[in-house]
Amino acid sequence: MALAAGSFGVANRALRVAAVAALGLSVAAVAALGLSTVRCGRSGSSPSVRPPTPGPAKRVVALAPNLTEIVFALGAGSSLVGVSEFSDYPDAARSIPRVGGLEVSAERVASLTPDLVLATAEGGNRKGAVSALEASGLPVLVVPGGSLDEVLAGIELVGRRLGREAEGRRLMRALEERREAVRRSVASRPRPRAVLLVWPDPPSAAGGGTFLDDVLTEAGAQNLLSSRRGWPVVSAEWLATAPIEVAVIPDSPVNRPVFERAFAAGALSRGSIAAARVIRVDESALTRPGPRVFDALEQLARELSP
Amino acid sequence: MKARARGPGLWLAAGALLAGCLLLGVSVGGVRLSPAAVWSGAGPEGETARLVASIRVPRVALAALVGACLALAGAALQALLKNPLADPFLLGTSGGAATGAALASLLGVSPLLSPGAAFAGAVVSSIGVAALARRGGRLDLQRLLLGGLIANAFFSAILLGVFSLASSETARTMLFWMMGSLADASPQKPLALLPYAAIGAAALLGSASRLNLFSVGEENAAALGVNTERSKAVVFLASSLLTGAAVAFAGVIGFVGLLVPHAARAIVGNDQRTLLPLSAIAGAALLVAADAVSRAVAAPSELPIGAVTAAIGAPVFVYLLLRTP
Amino acid sequence: MTASAEPVLPILLEARGLCAAYGPNQALRGLDARFFSGEIVAILGENGSGKSTLLKVIARILAPSAGDVLFDGQPLAMIQRRVTARRIAYVAQSADLVFPIRSLDLVLQGRAPHGRGFSADSAEDRQRAIEAMRACDVAGLADRDASALSGGERRRVFLARALAQEAEVWLLDEPTSGLDPRHRIDFLDVLVREHRARQTTVLLVTHEVDLALSIADRVLLLREGRAFASGPPGETLTPTALRDLFGVEARVDRDAGGRRRVVWIGRTTPEDGRPAG
Repeated sequence: MALAAGSFGVANRALRVAAVAALGLSVAAVAALGLSTVRCGRSGSSPSVRPPTPGPAKRVVALAPNLTEIVFALGAGSSLVGVSEFSDYPDAARSIPRVGGLEVSAERVASLTPDLVLATAEGGNRKGAVSALEASGLPVLVVPGGSLDEVLAGIELVGRRLGREAEGRRLMRALEERREAVRRSVASRPRPRAVLLVWPDPPSAAGGGTFLDDVLTEAGAQNLLSSRRGWPVVSAEWLATAPIEVAVIPDSPVNRPVFERAFAAGALSRGSIAAARVIRVDESALTRPGPRVFDALEQLARELSP
Repeated sequence: MKARARGPGLWLAAGALLAGCLLLGVSVGGVRLSPAAVWSGAGPEGETARLVASIRVPRVALAALVGACLALAGAALQALLKNPLADPFLLGTSGGAATGAALASLLGVSPLLSPGAAFAGAVVSSIGVAALARRGGRLDLQRLLLGGLIANAFFSAILLGVFSLASSETARTMLFWMMGSLADASPQKPLALLPYAAIGAAALLGSASRLNLFSVGEENAAALGVNTERSKAVVFLASSLLTGAAVAFAGVIGFVGLLVPHAARAIVGNDQRTLLPLSAIAGAALLVAADAVSRAVAAPSELPIGAVTAAIGAPVFVYLLLRTP
Repeated sequence: MTASAEPVLPILLEARGLCAAYGPNQALRGLDARFFSGEIVAILGENGSGKSTLLKVIARILAPSAGDVLFDGQPLAMIQRRVTARRIAYVAQSADLVFPIRSLDLVLQGRAPHGRGFSADSAEDRQRAIEAMRACDVAGLADRDASALSGGERRRVFLARALAQEAEVWLLDEPTSGLDPRHRIDFLDVLVREHRARQTTVLLVTHEVDLALSIADRVLLLREGRAFASGPPGETLTPTALRDLFGVEARVDRDAGGRRRVVWIGRTTPEDGRPAG
């Protein structure tokens, strides 16, 4: 009897371990979800600099493509010693050493001995990864981008840290003027009801409190999902029945086939979303809270005009 | 212990439960639907109702089939392994299916082929786990459980690797699918799932009496004349078929295979001839109801169905774990 | 029946050069043994000597790695599993019941090899099951959950199952271990009574030499997977044999009723005695 009981004990123990592992798997999935949410999530945190280093930064690492673009737009591209995996604009950025994509390699960053690390509150930088970099003594600047105002403020902020205050202010003013021109051009126009779908599977859209909500609204549309904060995943039923007139989608070689499938047979194939007017905007301009988002704003305003 | 209810009353009650859940599933959601409006289809309201029904009905049908597949597979595995904690999730079958589909997606295989890849993954996982468990020409049940554990660790490693390699958008799609999703239920999906479900269910229901003998012990079944190796292969493969098909069409939905047979057993006892069909019906009802909840709670968004089942299932799981000697 | 070393009964089961592994150990290493129709054979030996493995091979739970078991002169592997399952009943040492099951349903499982597709609960099956439970004095437990029964009750329920199975061979693996005196006596009374009533062949694995002396027609002593000795209990279970088999000095006395009793004296070797199991 002892033998039998003992052997079943082993089975039970094995099963318990398996059970814990299975729970672990689901926890990992939930954690990964958290990660992807942070990626799109808006962080309301104010810009933080730690520790403050005197003088303009000479060796800069940009942890997101929009930050790379900001540095180049300020004319300081040559100070970049490391950029994130997805930094593909401008062309000159492609030859700069990579420090990782969704998961930043802290060792790579440290080995580049930067005197400034730019991280984003909106892009792929996990809070944990950022604080790990800070903890290792690297001067990290978290650049805001939760609204168009914040994008402009971020440009000015980065300009200051790079010793390019004048350029920063100039760029900010130029972008502000273009933004104002768009606002004026759409002021008297009817405002079509729109959604901005960042990804079709599952259908994920720009909600209120995001820089893309600003883009959609200032370009003259009415964001049907303004009342939802962040980046809601919406149901096929809602997309089929909501009074959607315009669908704005980010266009890139990667996105195109996925959206095409969704429009052909997936969640975007029925009802109002299928009948809506589709406006395609270059993905890298639209979805990066950097200078080029104002290009996207202008294009969208043009295409929205009746 | 009293004799359990097994008469027609039980099946009437189970049928009524399923019918009620189906009705609930069709009428509840981000957009409220009155059956009358769907019927008449007149006016703009009727048109909307029909539109919503065209999206929702296939989804409810898919939920019912997936729930039945998972609950049936879980019930059969529990009897086969004589363990109330056995579940396709635990034995690595779901993980294998998920990995198959994720790899296919990473390699750029069309999503239309991902069901095939998930099924292949489920079968590969089953064969691998069975090979690990084979000792001296027979399937050793303890090693089977350990094999499932190893398979889970292995597949979750692959999945995490796939996530890190995929573009963030693709990873997002895979992630939602990993958590289980009925969101993209075209009318073809439940129809495509039906043959797999029918074959797997027939094989398991046909093994019900043998599973009764297994649920007292494998040696018990062998001593009473069952060809245990063949029975184990049949049940294992049929469960993999059901699980793989369910994962392929709806992602990884855990705990249904664990929860439903447990609840059904508490009502009708452990006679597999009653327990298996009742688990299938109750599994269908549970998943349809859970899906209705996932659609209604956060409309116009939807909660991942796997999160809903896990929220119900995990506490029950812990309870069972603590109670098992 | 204990009079002659070679009873004039037909050979029902015969092991020929039987080898079998249970788990990692080679438990049987060329066993030759014969079992005659209608006798009670007590099988004794040290732990790991292959006693339980022998029962599992005969019950077809385990396939032999070499050699053969002949049943009515025919190799077991040549006979359909269900056919042997109708004639050979196996009562395991322990039944770790995880799921609840009514005692009656457990006994009805004995009818499984007789039914179509292993499903057997016709009115006739039920009748036989209830009769078997009555014979084993457990009819009152029919509706109770078998996993909640005491060890003695449960073993009688399993014996009732062997009766319901209408098997002519009963394989009992340590049927009295862990039973208190009253349950032990109840179980053995039922066993001997039903064995006599049905003329079954009983192979009984036990560690209790006294039990072998009191109820067995013959004993089979196993050592290291082979037959060490066999014959009538009184002649076979001698102090010499017990010392060679178990490494323990023993004396065989007779009590006031004339029954043989073993008195253990002490170990002959420093080898560690392992727990029963």
